[in-house]
Amino acid sequence: MIQSDRNAKRSIAVTLSFVAAGTVSLLTGMCWLIVRPDILATYHYNQHVIAVTHLFTLGWICSAVMGSIYQLVPVALETNLHSERLARAHFLLHLIGFTGMVWMFRAWNIKGVGYFGFILATGVLVFAYNIGRTLTSILRWNVVAVGIASALGWLVLAILAGLLVAAAKLWPISSFDPIRQMHAHAHLGGLGFLMILIVAVSYKLIPMFGLSELQNQSRAWTSLALLNVGMAGLFVTILFGSALKLLFAIVVISGLGLFGCELIAILRVRKRRIMDWGMKYFLTAIALLAPLCVLAIVLSSPGVTLNDFTGRLENVYGLIALLGVVTLAILGMLYKIVPFLVWYSRYSPDIGRMKVPALVDLYSVRLQTIGYWLFLGGLVLTSLATLFGHAACAQKGAALWFASIIVFAANMVKISHHLFKPGTESLPMNAALKGVS
Amino acid sequence: MIVSHPNEQTVRDALRQVIDPELDCNIVDLGLIYSIHIQGTKVSVAMTLTTPACPMQERIAMGVQSALLNLDSVEEVDVDLVWDPPWSPARMTEEGRSRMGIYES
Repeated sequence: MIQSDRNAKRSIAVTLSFVAAGTVSLLTGMCWLIVRPDILATYHYNQHVIAVTHLFTLGWICSAVMGSIYQLVPVALETNLHSERLARAHFLLHLIGFTGMVWMFRAWNIKGVGYFGFILATGVLVFAYNIGRTLTSILRWNVVAVGIASALGWLVLAILAGLLVAAAKLWPISSFDPIRQMHAHAHLGGLGFLMILIVAVSYKLIPMFGLSELQNQSRAWTSLALLNVGMAGLFVTILFGSALKLLFAIVVISGLGLFGCELIAILRVRKRRIMDWGMKYFLTAIALLAPLCVLAIVLSSPGVTLNDFTGRLENVYGLIALLGVVTLAILGMLYKIVPFLVWYSRYSPDIGRMKVPALVDLYSVRLQTIGYWLFLGGLVLTSLATLFGHAACAQKGAALWFASIIVFAANMVKISHHLFKPGTESLPMNAALKGVS
Repeated sequence: MIVSHPNEQTVRDALRQVIDPELDCNIVDLGLIYSIHIQGTKVSVAMTLTTPACPMQERIAMGVQSALLNLDSVEEVDVDLVWDPPWSPARMTEEGRSRMGIYES
């Protein structure tokens, strides 16, 4: 029998607002890199580096990811979002919080960072509570649900650690090395929250989009366990500057290796052989984990000291992690999520009554393909420029990225346009079908 | 007055108007329709989806109802979403398979 229309209750406004805020942040960040390519070409923590990093992480990545989670979690776990009102409140807190933080970092007003950080942290707690309550309504906990829950836990810790890092700049509350504190904070967010979330949702979405199934439950669970244990160990060893950092980096890489093996197994038996560009974006992001892991091993090796070259290697590591792996994964998933949301809102009531477009008809595949190659070109160029400290080359790479994101934004506008000007046609065959026999 | 009744072919043709938007293929060529029973002006359809996690399940089922109620000869529609046996590409038509690039595993 037909179930109650769970999805109809879900509004798309919150998710689209987060995605729009994220896309604007990404474009702003790319402009910033074009204007100040030295951010990439030199190893120096100045206010521009910190501000643009938070624009990318909070403004782009967290906005897109949190907006997506409000739709993905109910779909992936077959339940309802606990509260849409809280999601709307979170959007406001998030918007005020991250724009204020970036502005204050740019002005190097750490007290201001703290105030806006508090607003952002309140939003994150609202988000964690809302998704946490949503998770409590599921009947059966599986690897996806546990992965999402643990990613949420790391997110809360990342935000708290960020506030402590800011506080430590104002008051003598921490005896830890400031660079180590920042690195530990960054890994809580990048690895603990984002990477574990990507792994968890992949175990649901890749089988769903490829018409396949999870192939080995224990492999999936083990990958998740290794990532969580590795993350906990990395946090402590980075903070204390311990040589055991390498050991926990290997634990994390083992978890990612198992994740990669499981993905390959899922894709091998997929029934849908044609891979769309959304999936290609996402799988390219996963493939970029290989160079990232090599860099992680190099940078966590005992005896590596901070100098100009290793500093630039750290920049390449952060660049590939945030703007390579995470950004490409998000772009790929947004090409699946946003068309679905718009289609669901605008066309699903007409299904069977009108001729409705398919999801792929809502955007330009040509633009999507162009955007993919522009993005990869930008990534290669900026990575090399960062490695060799070449500002002019970094600027050209950032320009390619900017062009890629313009193309992405154009496609998002094209998709959203269907909300206002739908492309339905009445069914011409109805007359011929009426009254037979 | 002549009372007309639908036949199975008419029903299948009407169901071809219902698409899975992610796969861009209609539910008949996808092999999602398991059985069709016609009793007078009532049509009962047993169908599945490619995955139980399909977020479109309710709307696709509603689309089936709408498409069939559009037929003059249909007054009542019963849609039963079933998961056993699970969908497999073997159920697809040749047209659906070539359209989707789906092969039988």
